[in-house]
Amino acid sequence: MINNEFIAKIEGHGNLKVDWKKNKVVLEIKEGERLFEGLLFNRPAEEAYWVTPRICGVCPIAHNLASLNALEKAANIKLAEPIQLLRDLMQCAQMIQSHTLHLFFLSLPDYLEIDRGTELKRKNPDAFKKALALKELADNLAIISAGRNVHPTTPTLGGFNKLPAKNDLTQILKQLEQTQKIAEWLPMFCETLNYPELKVNLELITIRNDAIHSSHGDVISVNNYKENIEEEIREFSTAKFSKFRGREVMVGALARLYFEKNNYPLDFQNPFHNNLAQAIEIKFYHQKAIEIIEKLLTFNLKKYLEKPEIKWSAEARGIGAVEAPRGGLYHEIYINEKGLITFINIITPTVQNLTSIEKTAQVLIEQHALKSQKEKEKLLNMLVRAYDPCITCAVH
Amino acid sequence: MPMIKKQNNKISLGIFDFTDCEGCQVKLISLREKFLQLEKNLEIKAWRLGQEKFEPGPYDIAIVEGTPIMPEEVELLKKVRENSKILIAFGSCAALGGIPAILSEKERKYWYEKIYGPNYKPRGIEAQPLSFYVPVDVIINGCPVDENEVLKIFEALLAGKKPYPFDYPVCYDCKKRGNECRILKNLPCLGPITKNGCNAICISGGSPCYGCFGLRDGANIEALIKILEKIVDKKTVALYLSMFHKKDIKYDQQ
Repeated sequence: MINNEFIAKIEGHGNLKVDWKKNKVVLEIKEGERLFEGLLFNRPAEEAYWVTPRICGVCPIAHNLASLNALEKAANIKLAEPIQLLRDLMQCAQMIQSHTLHLFFLSLPDYLEIDRGTELKRKNPDAFKKALALKELADNLAIISAGRNVHPTTPTLGGFNKLPAKNDLTQILKQLEQTQKIAEWLPMFCETLNYPELKVNLELITIRNDAIHSSHGDVISVNNYKENIEEEIREFSTAKFSKFRGREVMVGALARLYFEKNNYPLDFQNPFHNNLAQAIEIKFYHQKAIEIIEKLLTFNLKKYLEKPEIKWSAEARGIGAVEAPRGGLYHEIYINEKGLITFINIITPTVQNLTSIEKTAQVLIEQHALKSQKEKEKLLNMLVRAYDPCITCAVH
Repeated sequence: MPMIKKQNNKISLGIFDFTDCEGCQVKLISLREKFLQLEKNLEIKAWRLGQEKFEPGPYDIAIVEGTPIMPEEVELLKKVRENSKILIAFGSCAALGGIPAILSEKERKYWYEKIYGPNYKPRGIEAQPLSFYVPVDVIINGCPVDENEVLKIFEALLAGKKPYPFDYPVCYDCKKRGNECRILKNLPCLGPITKNGCNAICISGGSPCYGCFGLRDGANIEALIKILEKIVDKKTVALYLSMFHKKDIKYDQQ
């Protein structure tokens, strides 16, 4: 008999095991070990940003950017302005792509009383049409900036193998103008959803300008990421669980918005609001994409096809730190003088969130104690989905 | 391959994923309106990534993405096979073992300890294509799969036909797209031995072709290896072949 023991509508295989007699929650991770840090060993530096996107099909661009960032630091490459702009455009595409997929396909069905995302077509045809328009826009943005919607083909060390033609940029700008109203509508739509009540003393962390900022006041350089984000090996998990300076922290859209001024009614003590935060970020990155493309159109991109020649020194090292859709992502890579990878360490956002999910799930059971077990189970699944965990990333 | 017939105008489907990146399922969702068209003909009985609704089968078609790494996944694969008329290996991990197959069992043992520490009890096994464990009826190649190929194959299956294999190399479309030949530029390329269906997307984006669409029928592997060895050293040839072909091309770099 085939059975389904995993939480549905999250990326990867995990399950919250609850001992209802003791009210104790354990998060089990059952993805096979993936060993990306091993399989890249002794392979050429250029393979890192080609292989690491294969860690995750939902946020491949984020891994591509993190590996490129690490290697460019290691090789001491400074990016020309339009190249950096295109990299930022890749990030916009990634955020809109991943958040749209997560909201409409994985998490919003919980609030709209449907199961599969495509059932929205019947329930709310207008919202569904808008979701498809955002998905199409995000895929096109990814194709123009990175060559393909899943797993980039054009970005390379110091630049791009292919740069978008002027016509492509004006086309996508037109599409962005058409979806502008949808991007503005989405946060208003998500504001009206009935988020379950929960009050957690959440600590939120995010990367800004190569420093890790915490809502509790800590600021540390990304160069010290490893000493501050300690990973723990657990018996029932093929993913590691991490803590930030010994404390459970949440990363992702809600954490990023804690550090951005906005007028939305976000509750930074309720992780369910991560859904609303993702909707707000879609609007934010949509606007940012427009601004980037307008700037890109002032450059003659053909001039920037030439890439710097790379000479690897014996001890080339770099730490790539980027905000992925689910939060801070770190790739630390060492290269030898032959240009081969001698060490790679990856810490993903979900590794950081797993500890917080478990803690918050425990709080949820206590704060919703009077509800039936079935209702609590439903809320727990919704909570896990609100964090938007990516187990495939977490195991890497 | 057994033929399938619609019941109540629908074909029943189960979508399963083993250890992998889930990017091929993302590609499926990226079909958008075209996915909705397909969906009209389908009764999706199981899809962990897409829905809570779950029926244990039987299925007319089972799509399996990823490669079994946990022993439980091998067991599940066998059960899915028993309960499905047509089993589709979806993407390079399922079709070839994919990127995870870069590591041998021995190498995996070394990295378990390096990555998880000496006290960790490993659970995984070496990555293998699905066909190592069970018969596979249809292969949809790619890392990730290509939307148009998914559509073509599904349209054939829904019409009760056996999908045609793509029997020409990546080079064909690569030329059509006007790319300069990588091999003529002294850059390694596995396009000549690789099945088409990708529209030469990686090469067109300036990336190498590592052959994620699998070997085409009658591929002249030896001849290509001879050419590659003239362009680059044997270690580089081995690296290229190891990306997706650890399981189907034996190459001795000594």
